[in-house]
Amino acid sequence: MIYVIDHEDSFTYNLVHLLDNFAPTYVSNYFNIDKKKLDTCKIIVFSPGPGDPSNYPETQKIYHQYKGLKKIVGICLGFQQILYGEKGQIIPQKKIYHGYQSRIKVLNGSSLFKPNKILLGGRYHSLKLKEPFSHQNLKITMRCVETNVAMAIEDTINNVYGFQFHPDSFLTVDGKFLIQKILQSK
Amino acid sequence: MLNNKEYLNKIFQSNKPLIIYKTIGGFDVYTDFNERIVLNSKNFKSFLNIKCNKLNSKIKELNCYVGFFGYKLLCKNIDIKLPKQQTSNFYPGLVYKPQTLIKIRKNITIKSLLKNFRKKIPPQKKDYHFHEKKFNLNLNESQYSNLFEYFSKKIKLGETYQIKICQTYSNKSHIDAVNFFWKLMSINESPESFLMRDKDYSIISCSPETLITKKKNTIITKPIAGTLNRTKKMTTKYAMSYFKKNEKESKEHNMIVDMERNDLSRICKSGSVKISKLKSVEKYRDLYHYVTEIKGTLKEKTSNHDIISAMMPAGSVIGCPKINTLKLLNSRERLNRNIYTGSFGYINANGDMRFNIIIRALLNFKKRTEISAASGVVIDSKAKKEYKENYIKAKSLLDLFKI
Repeated sequence: MIYVIDHEDSFTYNLVHLLDNFAPTYVSNYFNIDKKKLDTCKIIVFSPGPGDPSNYPETQKIYHQYKGLKKIVGICLGFQQILYGEKGQIIPQKKIYHGYQSRIKVLNGSSLFKPNKILLGGRYHSLKLKEPFSHQNLKITMRCVETNVAMAIEDTINNVYGFQFHPDSFLTVDGKFLIQKILQSK
Repeated sequence: MLNNKEYLNKIFQSNKPLIIYKTIGGFDVYTDFNERIVLNSKNFKSFLNIKCNKLNSKIKELNCYVGFFGYKLLCKNIDIKLPKQQTSNFYPGLVYKPQTLIKIRKNITIKSLLKNFRKKIPPQKKDYHFHEKKFNLNLNESQYSNLFEYFSKKIKLGETYQIKICQTYSNKSHIDAVNFFWKLMSINESPESFLMRDKDYSIISCSPETLITKKKNTIITKPIAGTLNRTKKMTTKYAMSYFKKNEKESKEHNMIVDMERNDLSRICKSGSVKISKLKSVEKYRDLYHYVTEIKGTLKEKTSNHDIISAMMPAGSVIGCPKINTLKLLNSRERLNRNIYTGSFGYINANGDMRFNIIIRALLNFKKRTEISAASGVVIDSKAKKEYKENYIKAKSLLDLFKI
C-alpha cells in the first residue's frame, strides 16, 4: 500500500490516480494521520501543497521517523520537505513557475533515469532549494535547463526520492513512467 | 382558454415565483412550486443525500429540485470558516420543487403535474419598479491595489498560486426581473444563463460557465480561465492566437485544468479522468473565454453530497490551491459574496444533475441590486489590468441599468 500525506493541495488527487496504477493508495490529511496504516504501508508519499516545509512539523516528524525504514517520495512541497529534513534551505526564487512547462535535464548521478535525457515537466512552485547544497547520500539528479534549479533528488541508500515538478500534471509528458521508475526502484 | 404562449406571457407578467434556465436550443421555465427549502449548513447534506433521492414525480423532468447554493454555504460545507462580514442576510441557499415545466424551443410545450395549471395565475402584479443608473463599488482602485499587493506577496511565498479578488457593484433598485432577463438574453445569451424570481428577491445571470453536467455515472466540468476584451473587428481566430501566445493566460489556464482534474479525481474511478477538449475559445458579446472540458466516470456509491463537496465552490473562480486560497480570501474580504461564486442548477431523483457557477449575476433583494466580478491574481498580473477586467465582466449587467 502507498500512503499519501495530503497537504491540502488542489493537485493531490491527480497524483493519487497516478499512484493507483501501481498499488492501492490511501490518502489522509497531514493533520489526520492513520498511524496503523502508516505503519503497514510500503511507501509514503508527501503531497504538494501551499506554503513552505516549516509550516508542516507533523510531516517532518514522519520523515525522520520512517526515513530508511520505508521508501519515501516527495512531490513539489513534498520534495522541499525532504530537503528541509536534510538541512537544506528552501527560499523564494526570482522567477516563479505556476502552470509552466519546463525543459528538465537528467544529470549523470541519476540511478533511475538516463543521463542527459530532456523531459518536459509541469511546475507549480514559488520556492526552491538554496544552493550549494551537499549531502552524503541525497543527490540532485535533475535540473531545470533554463534556470538550473534542482528538479529531482535520489537517495538510493535510504530509498528517498522526489520531484520539484509535478509528474501528475497534464503538462508533464509521461508522468506515469516517471512515477513507475521511482515506485519500482529497490 | 389561454394558448401556451398567452399562458407563458401571463406568468411572466404576474408575481408568480419562477425559474428560467438556458438549455440547448432554448429555455426551460419551472413554476408551480409545491416545496421551497431554505438550505443551511445543518440541512444541506441530508437535502442532497436523502431528500433528493426521495422524489417521486410521474414526469421525469419534474422529478427534481432546482435552485442555488450560496458561497458561504459551500464554504461551510467543506469546513472553511468565514469571519463576520457585512451582509444583507440573503438566503444561504434555496431550492424549489416544480410541478410545471414550460419548454421554450421553436414551439412552446408544457408538462405539468397539475390538471388546472393554466388557471393558477395570480392577478397582474402591482409592484412599483425603479432603478438607479449608477452603481457604487465596494473597493476603489487604490483599495483594490492594496489587496492585490497583499495577495501578490502570498503568491511569492507559495501560500497561493492564483487568487481571485472579488468586487461588488450595488445600487438602489427594484427591478422587473423577467424584463431585465430577456433584455440580457437579447445581448448576451450565455449557455448557463438563468433567472430565479420569488416574492422577495430575484436573481438573473448570464453565466458562461458549466461546473457539473452529470448523466448516469459520467461527470463533466468545463472550466473557464482566460478572458479577452472583445472589440468589433476581432475574430475567434485572433482570440485563439492571443491566448496561445499569452504566457500569463496560458499558465493561469493550465493551473485551473490541473485543479479541476484533481477535484474530479476525488470522486472518479482511478484513471478515468480525461481532458476531452483542451483550450478552446468561446465568443460572447463583450469578451472571449478560454475553455477546457474534462470528463470522468464516478466511483460506485458516490453520493450527491460527495460530488458537491468535491466540486464546490468551483476552483476556477476561487484560485488555487482551493482550501488555502479560500482561507486567504475569507480573511480579507469584508463583504459577503452572497450568491456570487455559488452554484445554480438542478438535481434529479435519478441522480442526474447540472450546475453552473454563479458569475455575471445580479441579485435584487431588499430594494438593492448587487453585481460582483472577480479576476485572477497570478504572479505576472498587473493590478490595473485585473481591476479593469472586473469591470468588463460586470459590464453587460451594468448596462441594463443605463436605460
